[in-house]
Amino acid sequence: MARITAGITTSHVPAIGAAIDLGKTNEDYWKPVFAGYDWVKQYQAREKPDVVVLVYNDHASAFDMKIIPTFAIGCADEYAIADEGWGPRPVPPVKGHADLAWHIAQCCVLDEFDLTMINEMTVDHGLTVPLSLIFGEVSQWPARVVPIAVNVVTYPPPSGNRCWMLGEAIARAVASFPEDLNVQIWGTGGMSHQLQGPRAGLINKAWDQAFLDRLTSDPEALRHMPHIEYLREAGSEGIELVMWLIMRGALGGHVKELHRHYHVPASNTAVGHIVLEPA
Amino acid sequence: MTYDIHAYLAEFDDIPGTRVYTAVRARKGYHLNQFAMSLMKAENRERFKADENAYLSEWPLTDAQKAAVLARDYNAMLDEGGNIYFLAKIFATDGKSFQYAAGSMTGMSQDEYAAMMLGGGRSPEGVRSIREGR
Repeated sequence: MARITAGITTSHVPAIGAAIDLGKTNEDYWKPVFAGYDWVKQYQAREKPDVVVLVYNDHASAFDMKIIPTFAIGCADEYAIADEGWGPRPVPPVKGHADLAWHIAQCCVLDEFDLTMINEMTVDHGLTVPLSLIFGEVSQWPARVVPIAVNVVTYPPPSGNRCWMLGEAIARAVASFPEDLNVQIWGTGGMSHQLQGPRAGLINKAWDQAFLDRLTSDPEALRHMPHIEYLREAGSEGIELVMWLIMRGALGGHVKELHRHYHVPASNTAVGHIVLEPA
Repeated sequence: MTYDIHAYLAEFDDIPGTRVYTAVRARKGYHLNQFAMSLMKAENRERFKADENAYLSEWPLTDAQKAAVLARDYNAMLDEGGNIYFLAKIFATDGKSFQYAAGSMTGMSQDEYAAMMLGGGRSPEGVRSIREGR
């Protein structure tokens, strides 16, 4: 049977993608950002996940204002790389796992989570920057991907509790998939950042680090944290962190933390990265 | 779980220097954001760059929305219902970075803003809540 073996989170800043694509990773500004991902690359080389259920948000790339799904699941065999206004990132296309994706979609609907099924879409930096950070620069991605796109742009986004429950439903669905697959679940986005208005540039290191701590020590508190706290403490785009709770919900009650990385700044953003396994 | 949608939305206005992208803003800015979205296509970027006024006139935008775009006044675009991820297509078309655009909204120079970020970013102290002054 398929099983979820690990949860990984990372920020997905577009400038990180640009730094990789333009060969700037050894520059003084970027070195400490990328150094924090050396550990996970070794981990992935050992773990060799077959599939990544990758929770992310689209940044007005595949979805415009015409249709706004709160939770959408990519059910395609392949996803092309989005042109976000400066040409597509020069990374390999993302291979899907349509069998597992449709299985999750069907199970979740019966489990009272009505996901929007997507058969064609491009994927933007929200999905490809995490792949680059965690798998490195490769000619093809070493795992297939089931994209889970979450609306965190138009208010209200889903509550943290709803995200947690979706993670639980995804874990149940994965556990009933008959093929023997090593599945990881990734949560992306965050940490504190605000990209708009006179308050742009907000970073809250203490709050971010407490959030990282509580993924292990007190996830219940995160589950019930209201949106306004994310906005006040972690900036308007810090709301992306609710997506990490889908990852966390999928791992069950107790986890152990294997690795953590935190760095300020990457462009406008505090970079956070954590690797968890079910305990 | 109980909620009060009016209280939920009202709290967003208590955050200084921030426009949360609520339904009211999404409705006001629908065409502004869809115009920005059109710049995802290379041929549209070329047409826009060749004649911004002509390209904007193809969209049902208000005069205030058009003026904000032409002036690249991102705070004004936010006030007109723009969302930053959509507006990103405009500064990408201009060859500008997210840090440039974010900095332009703060009243700081690009260098000052970059230096603030290198120094750990803007502290949340004093900009969490207008009402509570914290």
